[in-house]
This record gives sequence, C-alpha cells and structure tokens, in this order.
Amino acid sequence: MRDVYVLGIGQTIFGKHGSLTINDLGAAAALAAVKDAEISPKEFQTAYCGTLYSPPTPIQSILIRLGVARIPMCNVENACASGSSAVHLLHRDIALGACDVGIALGVESLSAFNKKYGKGLLTIEGDLQGKLALTMPSFFAMLCNRLMEQRGATIEDICYPSVKNHKAGMTNPYSQYKKEVTVEEIMASPMIADPITVLQCCPQSDGAAAIILCCGEYYKKHNKKGYRAPVKIAGSVISVSGAEDASYDPLALQAMIKGAKDACEMAGIDAQRDLDVVEMHDAFSGEELAAYEMLGLCKPGDGVALARSRAVELGGRCPVNPSGGLLSMGHPLGASGVRVVNDITRQLWGEAGANQVIGAKVGMAQMLGGVLTGIESAVVAGIQIMTK
Amino acid sequence: MGKQVIFHSGALDEKDGSFIQMGNKCKICGKTSYPAVELCPFCSSENVEKVALSTVGTLFSFSVTRVPVGPYKPPIIGGYVDLPEGTRVFGQIHAKVEDVKTGMKVKVQTGVIWTEKDGTEVLGYYYVPGQAESGGSK
Repeated sequence: MRDVYVLGIGQTIFGKHGSLTINDLGAAAALAAVKDAEISPKEFQTAYCGTLYSPPTPIQSILIRLGVARIPMCNVENACASGSSAVHLLHRDIALGACDVGIALGVESLSAFNKKYGKGLLTIEGDLQGKLALTMPSFFAMLCNRLMEQRGATIEDICYPSVKNHKAGMTNPYSQYKKEVTVEEIMASPMIADPITVLQCCPQSDGAAAIILCCGEYYKKHNKKGYRAPVKIAGSVISVSGAEDASYDPLALQAMIKGAKDACEMAGIDAQRDLDVVEMHDAFSGEELAAYEMLGLCKPGDGVALARSRAVELGGRCPVNPSGGLLSMGHPLGASGVRVVNDITRQLWGEAGANQVIGAKVGMAQMLGGVLTGIESAVVAGIQIMTK
Repeated sequence: MGKQVIFHSGALDEKDGSFIQMGNKCKICGKTSYPAVELCPFCSSENVEKVALSTVGTLFSFSVTRVPVGPYKPPIIGGYVDLPEGTRVFGQIHAKVEDVKTGMKVKVQTGVIWTEKDGTEVLGYYYVPGQAESGGSK
C-alpha cells in the first residue's frame, strides 16, 4: 500500500443556509479545497461524495461547476459515516495505486430535507423498529440509561461533552453555535427522550466539506505549502455491525471497538498511548461519553473516570472534539465524515487557531451511523487515523 | 368493521383467529431471529423453520420519548425486550412511565397500534408489564 497525503482541505461554515442548494454548498467546499491545495481541479483523477438526502448524482452536478468531468465519480451513502466512506474509498484508490490524486466531498442540506419532509423526529423509512417509534434520540437515550446503570454516570457526566464541546465551538470560525451552556441550562431545555434534552442533541445543519488526497510522489511534486508538515491518512476502516441478539451491549459496540482497533493497527499506533486528538460523532452528549472506552482512549469501563479527569478537553491528554464537535459545529450529515478528517488535518498542520492541540502528531477521525432492526446499532463506524 | 392491515410485512402471522409473532429458528446455529427474513442473519443458513416467539421477555433497556413520533403521541415508552430463546425484539411498552423498570418482565400483546386517516386500522404488537398480565410467570 502506498502512503496517502492530504494536499488540501475546504469547507463551508456549518449552519442554516436555507437559500443555498446542495450544489452551491458542495461547490464552495470543493473550490476552497482546490484553493488550499493550489492545484487545478482538472488534476482530479477520481471523486467521491458522501450524502444521505441529496438529489441524485450530487458529485457530478457539483464538480461540473469547477469544470471537472469525464473521470470516475461515485456518490456513497452510509448514514452518518457517508463522508467517512467517501474519504475511505478515495484513500483506498490512491493507496492501491488506482489513481494518484482525487477529491472526497461530503454535503447535506437539512433545510432542503425539512422543506420536503417537515420537521420533527424521523424514523428510518420502512424499518420495523422505526414504525414502532425507534428514533436516534430514543436509541441514544437507552445508551445514556445504560451508562447510568452500568457505568455509574450521573446527569452531570452525561451533559459533560455538551458543556465541553459548546465551549470549544465558541472559537471555531466554522461552527454553527457560538454559545456556552451549563449543565443547568442543558437540563432546563426541552426533554426529547429521558434523559436527553435538546441541548444534548446536535443541531440540524447545512454544509459541505472537501478534502484532496494524493500519493507521495504527487505530493512531493505539487505541494506548494512547504511550511506544512506532511500529514497522511495512516489507517482507514469502515466497520459494520453483525446480527443482533440478546447478548449485545450497546456500551460495547463491536463495530466501533474493532473499527478503532483495526485502524490503529493499520497505522501502527496504540490508541491510549499515541492519540493526541480525536474528532468524533457526538450527535448526543452521552454518545461521546460512551465512546471513550470503545475508541480505546481508556480501558473498558473507565470512560466516565476519563471524562472526570478532564483528559478529553483542550489542555488534557487527548482532547476529544476540540472543534466543538457535532454538538456545536453542527451536523450536515454527509459532510461531517469529511469535516472530522479536515479538522484532524488542521490540528496536525498546527492551523487550528484557538482550538489548537499543542504538539498534536497523531489523531483519529470517527463517525458512526444507522439504527436498524436486526443489526447491532449503530450499524456502521468509519475511522481514520492521521499522522505526521 | 373497517379495513385492517399489519404494520410491517411478516411481523405478525394470523393463527387460530389471533395474531402472533413468528420468527425463524436456525437448525444450524440455533439462533431465533425476528422478523423472519430470507436466510439466518447469523450464519446465512437456509435451514430455518418458522416458530412462534416467546410471549414473555425481560426488558433490557428502554427510553421515554417526550415528543410525537409519526402517529404516536408522547410519552412513548420504547424498549428492547430479551426473549428466553436469546432473541432481542424492540417494541413499545404500554404502561405508566413510573411502572417501567429495566429488567422487568413484559408480556407481548397484539392489537391496533394506530388508525390511518381513511379509517384503516393498523395492527401491531406492544408489551405490557408481565406481572399484571401473567402473574409474573416466565
């Protein structure tokens, strides 16, 4: 396998962009990545786009606006790991020598989605559990209840990632929210599914993110930003759950545990020893708390203690979601999987501004998605390990 | 009587005038899966037979949704129910919120779970606390 380097990144500000289409958002992010990489879009040899609810063929309709056509392009859907899947496939193409340079994009407009389907809690169309009102909040509320019953988590522990990530979002120029919240404010906000309140949920968002990856030879020839340390994707894994039976514990989701372990092995790193920074899917505050141990940041069962030690905030041993995470950045579904890879890249380049993790050398980008009947939920994890 | 439909294809089978949940029991790996699908979802075997699911299970975990979801009005209590055969089934629990506890026995019932605007009754299953209905038997 060949090494795969990041040549450029770009994104829109995440938030409410009701007047912009998928194509507007996607083209803005792609163009920002092209400007960052300082190459012509004509250089792309392949392109992928992660999205859930866009009209058909978004990558083709976005890239024609940059004059890119007649190359292989694919749109991929993998729930909240759609963007991770786009990055994964591009990484694989380059690592295996199928091409030298390409773009992975993620895009979503929840404003457009809401116009079409109306607001409110949605279930997975056609799914048995969905027809019985299993939603993302009700699933993750069960996870929170498990954390309290099995791990001794308190309401304060459950709210901690939301407090931490809202604070981090204050200084991120791309984030949807610029507002700090307290545990009291979180618990006073409307209840969605006990104990999950509105301020424990990520917002609905519009936005796009893009990344340009290339092989080592191409990087040497075309990288014009000599001041940046070369950053590579050293491990990339898409990990899918198995059939569900009564032995399954959502606090020990194999898709996430094995996905993280495999990605770390691929990169030759140890999660607990080597990771300096993590960007992950914190669609719900308690979800982040449950993930610490599954991602290998601590021993199984020690996630609550890790949070209480404050090791996962800026200044700690391994900050998690120093960008502000989905909770504060916002979550344009298909875009987030690319955005987390961009944010880790920014950290390793030392370009994260006020949100910089000093001296970050190794980072993990994670996404998780899908709640379905018959499969251990969440059903798919996307993990990238990045090094410099 | 108006038109009646089952909420999800294959979720309920009619037997002796009432509706029951039928799963697939795999003769190779022994797992019982629900709803019944093409092959055993655990081992891909086609050597499966349709069996009636146990009617009483243990509540593994649950949550209470405080906002409307589709045709349902809050509070909506939903939970994973573990059956003695090792199958986990998701369903709503029809009970007072304060009476629902993790680890409690629940018993399945079938009936109308919502009514469409045209009057069509949608049949499904739900759970009720096991003590009241079954005397707490397993």
